[in-house]
Amino acid sequence: MAHAPSVLDAEGDSLRAASTALKAMLVEDSALVKNAAHLHGLCGGLKSGEITIQGDSGDYLGVVNSGAVIKVTGNAGKYAADNMTAGTVIVEGDADYGAAQYCYGGTVVIKGSAGDFTATMNKGATIIIGGDVGDEVATYMVAGDVIVVGNAGGNLGNYLIRGNIYVGGEWASLGHNCAVSALTAEDVQKLEALLAQYDIPTDGREFQKITPLSDKPFYSH
Amino acid sequence: MSTVGAFCVTLNENHCINSRMPGKCATCVEICPYGVYGLNEEHEVRIQNYNACVGCRLCAEFCPENAIRINPAESELVSRYPWTLGTIEEIHHKALTGSYGLRGFGTMGGPTPHFDTIVVVPSQLASPAPRDKYREECSMEVVIGEETCEKPIRLRYPFIFPAMSYGALSREAKLALAIAVAKTGIMTNTGEGGVVEEEPYYANGYERSDRKRKIWEPGGYLVVQWSTGRWGVSADYLNAGDAVEVKIGQGAKPGMGGHLLGDKVTEDIAAIRGIPVGSDALSPCRYYDVVEPEDIKKQVEFLRDITNYEKPILMKLGPSRPYEDVKAAALAGVDAISIDGLVGGTGCSPEVVTQGVGIPTIALIGPAARALKDLGLHRKVKLFALGGMRNGLDAYKAMAMGADGVGFGTAAEIAMGCRGCMACHQGNCPYGITSQHPKMRERLDPEEIGQRLANFINASAEEVKILTMLSGHSDIKELSEEDLRALDVNTAAITGLKLVGYERPLPWWENGHGN
Repeated sequence: MAHAPSVLDAEGDSLRAASTALKAMLVEDSALVKNAAHLHGLCGGLKSGEITIQGDSGDYLGVVNSGAVIKVTGNAGKYAADNMTAGTVIVEGDADYGAAQYCYGGTVVIKGSAGDFTATMNKGATIIIGGDVGDEVATYMVAGDVIVVGNAGGNLGNYLIRGNIYVGGEWASLGHNCAVSALTAEDVQKLEALLAQYDIPTDGREFQKITPLSDKPFYSH
Repeated sequence: MSTVGAFCVTLNENHCINSRMPGKCATCVEICPYGVYGLNEEHEVRIQNYNACVGCRLCAEFCPENAIRINPAESELVSRYPWTLGTIEEIHHKALTGSYGLRGFGTMGGPTPHFDTIVVVPSQLASPAPRDKYREECSMEVVIGEETCEKPIRLRYPFIFPAMSYGALSREAKLALAIAVAKTGIMTNTGEGGVVEEEPYYANGYERSDRKRKIWEPGGYLVVQWSTGRWGVSADYLNAGDAVEVKIGQGAKPGMGGHLLGDKVTEDIAAIRGIPVGSDALSPCRYYDVVEPEDIKKQVEFLRDITNYEKPILMKLGPSRPYEDVKAAALAGVDAISIDGLVGGTGCSPEVVTQGVGIPTIALIGPAARALKDLGLHRKVKLFALGGMRNGLDAYKAMAMGADGVGFGTAAEIAMGCRGCMACHQGNCPYGITSQHPKMRERLDPEEIGQRLANFINASAEEVKILTMLSGHSDIKELSEEDLRALDVNTAAITGLKLVGYERPLPWWENGHGN
């Protein structure tokens, strides 16, 4: 039978104090963290554990996450799930500027909307945004999937090298080295499974897929 | 390949074995990675492409009969300044390709002020007597993070090998650097290309990852770099070394990110960096996850947290506004700051940037040290000067100007065998230092070259010891600007040092307007 997680009230705590207490809890248990919006870089570098942040989080939540499952019931600050290599980060609300940058693996789910430069330099993660995203999303992506259920801003996928961008709405403009590709049956199956898994409504939207023109898009020297 | 040809290649057929006995020797054909030499149908060696020669002189070095001479062609055109051979070459390259020039190694020629117009002042009667280098002790230890970390770094000598990535350098060169720091008690740096598997335990002196058998004493340190491309960065990577360095910029190309051209992106390097084989790895010029000054402070804080508050956090700056930049870095909470000068090295950079962007190293150190003094952090937050350090004399001068230590980057490459052909970016380094080709790499034995590097470090440390003690000190921390004089007005003007003969700083420095 599942039991209640350990609770950490981080109000007034420094990152070091909160992080030390959190890591001690995670040895045996999952954790619920309250009043953590002032902490930047919380849950950094964790390899396992389940953490729920009640309310909003600070910047760099779950930076270099390497296997933990981190949920935020409110909104996330800037650079959520920065440089994640494994694990899951789920934000029930919106994410500020630069969510899920430099990720190598794992899954990031922003159920609300996300800001500019989301998923920049994605190197292999699956990044799902339930709402709209800002400009310069998935810049210099070298691997992975970025799924935007809503609309995207300008210069989407600039310098895309590998990977796929799926957009359920419209985009303002595409960046360098991007092409619109046909959605395959495998793509549809993947999208349906992922969106159902994370309980993200699509309102019956049909997605468009963006892929790189070339995997060596740079100018010759 | 050059259009005009910067080097004259001469083969003395009277000495050449192949000329006398075709088919018998073709060492030059075998060894030259640029295709300067070839064999004709009769198996006779022919110089088939003079213009391809980059001047590495490996052919001359390995010719068993000393039959090859490589001479710079520049002298023919030097009187045509400003239309030098280099300029003519540059224009031809652009006209033919439509692309700007790239270069490895660093700056060349030019009027860049450097350490040569600064001299050391020895002790006689008017200052504390000289110390006896042969019979007295001299402390050269530098400790990083003593008050902030559970595992501070204790450098035996005030030297580091600055960041040079796996990708820019070969795996063998990276391991040679790791072995050298283990043998000398200093530290090396992964650069931004991820970590080579053996690097962490080699740097600490261990033969294998189980760390049971230490084979290189006293053991050194490895810094892992957190950079704008974030290549190969994970929690394990950040904890693989003994410190983490946040890279803001570098001397050879401040304001730009790293360039690793596709020719050097092999399967192994592509896997570490997470990019396709053969694809250029062009790092961003800035952190996408830093948009305001406070963010960099947050990064330093979470890097401490991820490394369990055990390891020092360092920062590397390019040569821009040293006083303000160093102040900002110190306020971000780092334990040491490296500031890299215009003369700093590079594996690949646009020529115009390497040659003409940034501040000379000698003009950086004073303002950087003053920034730390104004914050009350001088000698607490350690300052390392990088960019064009050649020997213990340059190191002494940098430390007397306020640095706690120096970095040997290009000098380390030269100690490994580099002849300065400035073609690192092409990936054909005939000494296997900056090449990823198996044929070139097998020429570099990490243990042998690691010992060469250790010899260079030990000799340079002895030079620092000599100079420190003849100027009346027994600890490098006692060095000050009073131990130096500028030889000319220009050097006095940009450094604030006393001008030799005038015995005072220039007036605006005395008036306190010299930052």
